[in-house]
Amino acid sequence: MKNPIARLIIVLALISIGSGLFLALTYTYTIPHIEANAARDQEIAILETLPGAVDYQELEQTDMPIYVGLDSGGGIVGFSYVIEGGGFQGIIRMMVGVNPHEEKITGVKVLSHSETPGLGARITEPAFLEQFAQKSINDDFEVKEDVDGVTGATVSSKSVSEILKQSLPQALEQYRMSGGGK
Amino acid sequence: MKTGYEFFKGLWDENPIFRLLLGMCPTLAVTNAAMNGLSMGLATTFVLLGSNIMVAALKNVIPDKVRIPSYIIIIATFVTIADLGLAAFFPDIYKVLGLFIPLIVVNCIILARAEAFASKNTIGTSLLDALGMGFGFTWALTLLGSIREIMGMGSIFGMQIFGEGFVSWIIFILPPGAFLTLGLLLGLFNAMLNKKKTQCG
Amino acid sequence: MELLLLFISTVLINNFVLSRFLGICPFLGVSKKLEVAFSMGLAATFVMTLSAIATWLIQHYILIPFGMERFLQYVAFILVIASLVQFVEMFLKKTSPALYQSLGIFLPLITTNCAILGLALLSALNGYGLVTSTVFGFGAGVGFTMAISAMAGLRESMEFGDVPEPFKGVPITLITAAIMSMAFMGFSGLIAM
Repeated sequence: MKNPIARLIIVLALISIGSGLFLALTYTYTIPHIEANAARDQEIAILETLPGAVDYQELEQTDMPIYVGLDSGGGIVGFSYVIEGGGFQGIIRMMVGVNPHEEKITGVKVLSHSETPGLGARITEPAFLEQFAQKSINDDFEVKEDVDGVTGATVSSKSVSEILKQSLPQALEQYRMSGGGK
Repeated sequence: MKTGYEFFKGLWDENPIFRLLLGMCPTLAVTNAAMNGLSMGLATTFVLLGSNIMVAALKNVIPDKVRIPSYIIIIATFVTIADLGLAAFFPDIYKVLGLFIPLIVVNCIILARAEAFASKNTIGTSLLDALGMGFGFTWALTLLGSIREIMGMGSIFGMQIFGEGFVSWIIFILPPGAFLTLGLLLGLFNAMLNKKKTQCG
Repeated sequence: MELLLLFISTVLINNFVLSRFLGICPFLGVSKKLEVAFSMGLAATFVMTLSAIATWLIQHYILIPFGMERFLQYVAFILVIASLVQFVEMFLKKTSPALYQSLGIFLPLITTNCAILGLALLSALNGYGLVTSTVFGFGAGVGFTMAISAMAGLRESMEFGDVPEPFKGVPITLITAAIMSMAFMGFSGLIAM
């Protein structure tokens, strides 16, 4: 009587262990590539939101990830930070570039989101995001007044505005407090 | 002759989507563009291949009572491999398919083929079955994706095919469009097949 | 308050079936009679809520602490869900054999209901807490039940209508779903920021 049951358990256990091992192997093999992809995406995002920057440095001891953009001469172009906030269907993650001198946005890029394809997902398009560039960080970013929302995606558009409004003053403060210079 | 059939049946006669009506969730969700449909189809084919071959190889070892949990573990393992592989080597596709890669685990097609076919056939025929079903699934998804992309964005595989004046029906890349396109296609195929029958008398 | 908003949004605005495309197989297959569809929905809601809790616990007490979530999550989640469905099946068989009979094959099929795995994954992705996950799971179930019952009701009335031959069965169901989905899109204005 014990035999059939023992067999059930042994087969399941073996398959599970085999699966676990195989997956751990695959993970070990793929994770360097996955992380490299993520790092590359991040670098692209930082440089895109800080026109003129060719390199960057991460600031230590900040609440949110802040990257200082450097131009070819090593001078500071500005800084970019990563921020998350609630969107219509999930979390929206953005990289925001700031010119701390003039207290203006230099660029916004959406890193990830779960918005509706064809509608809310269009918050990633330059036509929408370019509106934020050169705006003062103290702007209200009101959809329909200060910026045009994406047609048919009011909630997604408003989410972006809201995230910017909430995070910009904090980011600037963090940057200055961490000795980010001017 | 018979071996050939094991492959070709998946393409039309027993096409998973148009005839067997399996695997509906990804069919509606990722067909908002031709490339997405194609990618999902290929990823699913990979998992189908892996699982059919593994199940056929282990069919005499796995006791009947635990066959479903065993198949599930095997399928979930291949899906995870596909997921990690895409994230590492095809990050753009990975971002687009997103949540629906892990959902391949519950794609009824895979479990159905493991249970109905691979558990009772040789590794060789199971491989053919997987290929046929996989490609059948893939072309169906690509067709759906193409239609929705053309109607909804005026492009196919990202290439614009209509001029500036084309007014796209954005509804096609939204949820209602998915249901509509598949429903119309299925109705169309049914009509075509019924006509064939009457012609043969 | 936030939880209430999440619940409403999951049931109406981001309805699992009609806007997220999760739970389509049972949606198309089961919904021919209203009572069966509704019972199916209830059973699914029950499993969804339970699995929201179970998968959250596995994610936060086993997977993450051991750093295994990136490669063992799918296997762990689907096994948990499959086991839950087994338990529910055994439980129903003992306590309500009539209900067990009427649900028939659809009960084990709940395992492959994309909605259940989908909500577990979404919950983990969005980093929901235990209570939020539970509300999310429950809302998903309620939304699913609503969609599937509405569809069953519509299909029952269509039995008396004049559907062209090639469209009978799944095609007309899909077209009906298209219209329902459009109607639900109207809800998206419901929650103002």
